[in-house]
Amino acid sequence: MTHYGMVIDTKKCVGCHVCAMACKLENNLPNDVWWNRILTDNGGEMGFDMVGGSYPDNLKLSFLPTSCQHCENPACAKVCPVGATYRDPDTGVVRQDYDKCIGCRMCMSACPYTGVRSFNWEDPQYHMDYATGGKDVPEHQKHVVEKCTFCYHRTSQGVEPACMHLCIGRARFWGDLDDPDSEVSQLIASRSYKQLLEDRGTKPSVYYLV
Amino acid sequence: MTDTSNVAVLDDNFAATVPEAAGAKAAAWGGKGLNAGIAVAGVLTVAGLALWAMQLTGGMAQTAMRNLDSWGLYITMFMFFVGLSAGGLIISSVPKALGIKGFGGISKVAVMSSIAATVAAIGFVVVDLGQPLRVWELFAYSNLGSPLMWDIIVLATYLILSCAYLWAQVRAEAGRVSSTALRVISVVALVCAVLVHSVTAWIFGLQQSHEMWHTALLAPWFVSSALVCGTGLVTLVCMALSRAGYLELSRESLVKLVKLLGAFVVVDLYFFGCDLLTEAFPGASGAEVVAMLVSGPLAPFFWVEVVGCAAAAVICFTPSLRRPGLIALASALAILAILCKRVQILVGGFQIANLADYAAASGPMTVTNWESGLAAAYQGMVYWPAPIEWGVALGVVALAVLVFLLGLKFLPLRPQD
Repeated sequence: MTHYGMVIDTKKCVGCHVCAMACKLENNLPNDVWWNRILTDNGGEMGFDMVGGSYPDNLKLSFLPTSCQHCENPACAKVCPVGATYRDPDTGVVRQDYDKCIGCRMCMSACPYTGVRSFNWEDPQYHMDYATGGKDVPEHQKHVVEKCTFCYHRTSQGVEPACMHLCIGRARFWGDLDDPDSEVSQLIASRSYKQLLEDRGTKPSVYYLV
Repeated sequence: MTDTSNVAVLDDNFAATVPEAAGAKAAAWGGKGLNAGIAVAGVLTVAGLALWAMQLTGGMAQTAMRNLDSWGLYITMFMFFVGLSAGGLIISSVPKALGIKGFGGISKVAVMSSIAATVAAIGFVVVDLGQPLRVWELFAYSNLGSPLMWDIIVLATYLILSCAYLWAQVRAEAGRVSSTALRVISVVALVCAVLVHSVTAWIFGLQQSHEMWHTALLAPWFVSSALVCGTGLVTLVCMALSRAGYLELSRESLVKLVKLLGAFVVVDLYFFGCDLLTEAFPGASGAEVVAMLVSGPLAPFFWVEVVGCAAAAVICFTPSLRRPGLIALASALAILAILCKRVQILVGGFQIANLADYAAASGPMTVTNWESGLAAAYQGMVYWPAPIEWGVALGVVALAVLVFLLGLKFLPLRPQD
């Protein structure tokens, strides 16, 4: 079986937010919608992109690019009353069917990674007059939940997700976690890593190298 | 069995000890006041519908709900009204199910209040949906593993059952339904009532994402909270109807209701204490939940609940304090306390962000009051309803009142003489 996963090397991430922008353009995201957000690991006391720790000897600047974790045990899919969000058995990607979503937002409160799911609180509006990104990206709809698709329209064609493409630090890796020879499997095997909120038992498919 | 075979008769004849008085008032009752009430409720319902249409066309961005606090007043009120619906049905069905003496002639009115509250609960789920026109999918693509799906099934069953139960009571009085059949329906209704509160609790309690919600205590706790506000509502409604001359509420029945209310309030407080202790004792992340409630942004709601419940219990358990005014106050306090509880559960769940150790950019869709940044948005309560939400909520409540008043006007809910 194929189980797509992503490995993000936090030692290489410089916090440039280009992957967030690449995601927004590729998926033609409406105004104020971000599926991929770059969190700053600074204790949450300071604003984003700000240094954490204490002056002068203990400062740190570290980032955590965060989007849907495409969990193996997704809390969202379990609670969706109509099966609009589900784990694709062929790829392990957690998908979202806009046409089916009734907008109850149960998945948003069930997901421990609050903020990776986003609801279109109004009619999608765009700064540009034309759509950007992949031609197979489904049209955005008002009052439904959406989130990172793992660039399903690209990855199902064997092409890397858009967020990887422009990463200037080459911090992102994508591949099949079930294949022990894949780059992602090798990285996890050879480096120490962490996963987000492991204690919730969701088994994320995103690994952060530390 | 002889003792229980005439339960229905016994229960509903209880208040009919002074049929003349009730009958005399009956002729003069149900005129202008009731019609005016129906008209006001109708107008508010229509206004609510208009606001709901506005919310759907203009977008839910008009509400205060956002990605990080994705549920708000509607789901709070949904929880609250599911709870309110408990009292009537349970007060009416427990005596019949167990074959004990009931609360007099209030049985049918109590069930009517349950029906009205259930209508409101369903209404609040519907106005919360982004795509209400897709509700049919719930039946076409049901994911039977979702607690929300369970709730929809149980709530629909509950509404139908309450109506059937009311109908059965009316027919039983006419001698058309046997008391055994009525008793069976009572038992089924009672089981369904317990289920509806448990399932509503599981919408929250089964989620590992919010520590505050994720506790096995939540289901029994929802049942006890429902009993508190449900009994409070039935007491208030029956006192009001008794004043208005619609029915005769004997002192004995009233005292029985009040004692029950007191018992429920104490059980609910006990559960609260158990939960707080379990959260706080390890001194780990649960302590954050307790701090948020006791001295944090949700403290006003916490203290109104605790003090309100305590005061209600004192009134209920002190015979010399059981005066009509104070009983009404205790009932109102009990209802208010549970409303505060619902606010704590809903807003509290979102108030503590899981990835709070990381800073993120905020935007107009991220969180309520995003303008001053994420940290500032969590300073006070992370969510407070927008005007349109108050308006729509008022409309849904008005719908429930409308249903109840129409029931009073057109259905034979009065105790039989």
